[in-house]
Formats: sequence, C-alpha cells, structure tokens
Amino acid sequence: MSKERKTTLDPVILLALGIGLLTIAVVMLITQNLGEQGISIISGSGFTGNIMAAFITGLTTGGLSCLAVQGGLLASSLAHQIEQDYLDQSAEQKKKSKRQQAEVARSSTAQPILLFLASKIVAYTLLGALLGWLGSFLALSPVTRAILMIAIGIFMVGNALRMFNVHPIFRYFSVEPPKFITRYIRKTAKGTDTATPLFLGLLTVFIPCGVTQAMMATALGTGSALMGAALMLAFTLGTSPVFFIVAYLTTELGARLEKFFMRFVAVVLLVLGLVTLDGGLNLMGSPYSFTNFARGLTTNTASASETSASAPSTDLTLMVENDGYFPQTLKATANQPVVLNLVTDKTYSCSRDFVIPDLNFYQLLPDTGTVQVNIPAQPAGTRMFFTCSMGMYTGTIVFE
Amino acid sequence: MIKRTFNIPDMTCSNCAMKLESLEDSLEGVKEINASYHKLQMVIEYDESKLSDEQIIAAVKKKGYQAIPA
Repeated sequence: MSKERKTTLDPVILLALGIGLLTIAVVMLITQNLGEQGISIISGSGFTGNIMAAFITGLTTGGLSCLAVQGGLLASSLAHQIEQDYLDQSAEQKKKSKRQQAEVARSSTAQPILLFLASKIVAYTLLGALLGWLGSFLALSPVTRAILMIAIGIFMVGNALRMFNVHPIFRYFSVEPPKFITRYIRKTAKGTDTATPLFLGLLTVFIPCGVTQAMMATALGTGSALMGAALMLAFTLGTSPVFFIVAYLTTELGARLEKFFMRFVAVVLLVLGLVTLDGGLNLMGSPYSFTNFARGLTTNTASASETSASAPSTDLTLMVENDGYFPQTLKATANQPVVLNLVTDKTYSCSRDFVIPDLNFYQLLPDTGTVQVNIPAQPAGTRMFFTCSMGMYTGTIVFE
Repeated sequence: MIKRTFNIPDMTCSNCAMKLESLEDSLEGVKEINASYHKLQMVIEYDESKLSDEQIIAAVKKKGYQAIPA
C-alpha cells in the first residue's frame, strides 16, 4: 500500500494550539476563581476546588496512570503508523539528510498522538456531562455525598494497594473491560489512517485507568452535567501533557519507565485516596476522620490552643474564610441553646458550603454576610463537628 | 483443539491482559485467548498440530511476560 506523504504539520499545530488554549482557559478560570473576584459561573463554591483538584490529579497521576492502561493502545496504533511510514518513506528518504528524516518522523508521530488526545478530551468531557447529569437524579445530601466520597476513597486506596501488590484481593479494584470491547479496540488499533487515532481516543472511555475511574465517580457526585463535564475536561487536559510527552519521546521509553512511574502513581493515589476518605468521614461528622481525631488529640493536650476560643458561650461567632474556619474549635455552654453566627466576608471557597452533619444542617452561605444557626441544647462533653461540603475544611464545637 | 491455562505472574494491570490477548492475531493456530489480570492467568485454545507450548511461552515472553503452564 503506497501512502502519499502529506504536509501534515498544519493540523498538528492546530490541535496543539487547541489543547494549549484549552489548558490556558482552564488555568485562567481556576486562577480567576481563586482570586478576589468571586465565582460567577457556578454558585456552588466547591466548583473551584473540584476543578483544581481534577486538573492537578490529571497532571500528577492521571497522565501516568492513563498511559499505563491506554498507552498500549496508542503505542500499537503508533507502531503501525510508524511502521507504515517507514516502509513508505525508506526508498525516498535515502536521498534526504538525517535531520530531515527525523523531522518527518516526529511530525508523523505527533499528529496521531494529538488526534488521539483531542478526541480523548472530547470523549471524556461528554462522559463527564453524562455522569454529572445522571448524578443530578441522585439526591446528593451531605450524607449521600459523604458515602460517595468514602466509596471513592476506598476505591483509590484499593487501587494504590493493588499497584503496590499488597494482596491479590486488591486486583479486583481494577475493572476489566468486557472482552468484546477489548477485542474490538484491538482490531481497530491496526489502522493507520487519521480516523484511527481519533476513534481510539474516543474508545479510551471504555478502558479508563484507576485514577480516571475515581474521577468519573467524582463527576457523578457533582450532580450537574456542566460541572461533571468541566471536571472531566480539567482532568483529561491535565493528563494530556504527560501522556503526550512520554508517548512523543518514545513509546519504548514509556514502557520501560512504566514500572517506576507506577510506584509514584501508587503513592500519590494512596495519599489522594486517604484525603478523599478523610473528607467523606468529615462530612459524616465522624470523630474518627484523621482530621477530627488529630484535632481531638491536640485540643485535649493543649487546652488553651491558639485556634480555639477560650471561654464557653451561648453566642458563638465563626469566621468563614477562604482558607477555612476560625477559630477551628469553639467552646459552647452545655445544656443551653446556642446561637452560631457564621460570618463571611468575600468568601468564595468551598468553606461557604457549610455543613453540620449532626444537625443535618446544610447551607450555601452568602459570600459576604452573617447567617445564624440555632443549635439545640447539648450535654456537656458533646463534640459537634462542622465542615465544608467537600470535607476539606473542618472545625469542632465543644460543649462544656 | 486443546485448551491450556498459563499463569502469568507479572501482569500489572488489565492492559496486560489486553496485550496478551493480542497474540490471537499473531500466533498461528490460536482460536481464542482469554487473559485475566484478576487471576493472573491466560487461557488459550489452540490447534496443537500448529502450535506448541514452547512457542506460546516464547510469544508471551516477547510481549514482556513470563508464562508458566498451570
């Protein structure tokens, strides 16, 4: 089969620019939302944190993890492409200089990778929208969200332990796609035309890696098609640079470094899994979350902590700030109703999404203002936990 | 046609199973390969007049894995 060598640089540049601009757009969105300007796109304040976390997860672990699972698919497609190109060009290129040959080879490798990544980004964004839309049918109360977060956390930790090869049981945390799908993908991967990498990129939704699966569960948890799409877009964009660089340099290198990278991925996944698990437990109001347990230990040992109010009161004020709640420990008078004043002042982070699990209280606070919460009388010794809807920022009311 | 099971102890993810199943296309005499990362096994159905165990083990090795007859 003779294949005409085309000047394929234009679509390559176009796609690279497209991915680059999308990345910049997401970064700008994140940085704008982190600033003092506030969140205008979505009033749910967990949005920024979610998107940021998704992008960073993609950038740090997702790319490597995805490459391990989906890299074979891309590599096999590339191998066929390169092999075909080599056969076609070998006769002609004997006349050309080595430098020219290298340039042609590289551009022909870059194009299918970019096509693959572009269609993968589109596919996962659509998948995120679908998952978010499906999630909107689930009533996501803080408890539901907590359960989902705990499940995701367990899934991530399980996958990390699988990568560390701790016990054969953890292998079941890896979802095996049905045989007919893998067989179909394999057959498709033999093509060498432009449509093949595009189509393979789309098909990667059927073979998500462990990190991607966790992110898909998070997209489901957003309960919004827009947020689900944005989350998966940010994540897939984040995975793209590593995916591209490693695949571009050489697929052989990717395979050789795979084992080393997987250790790194496992460590990061373990940490992220534990953080997610902790968030879920916080959202449940569990005293056994790492955060609440550690705070319990420190407040017990240091009674006059800098972060806690000194004397018990029936009128409490909690400053809800962009980086958490202050003071983190409040002292309330036992056996008397207590008023908790939640004060926000240009607060745009997820700390605004205020939850007291024990009271089943959940409210999105105004970015600036005061909201009063009436807490019924509690016996002495009660520890009431409060948190943001993500389980990231937490605090305790101690009744004395 | 016979069916044989091989243990593949060094599979690391479900993509490895996919790689091994791709031998279906390159090994002559193979009817079907079912590889499982969960079980770290590969079940291969093949025509023993066209293919030997040694050839299968060699082909698996070429893919980067060790095949041990179960």
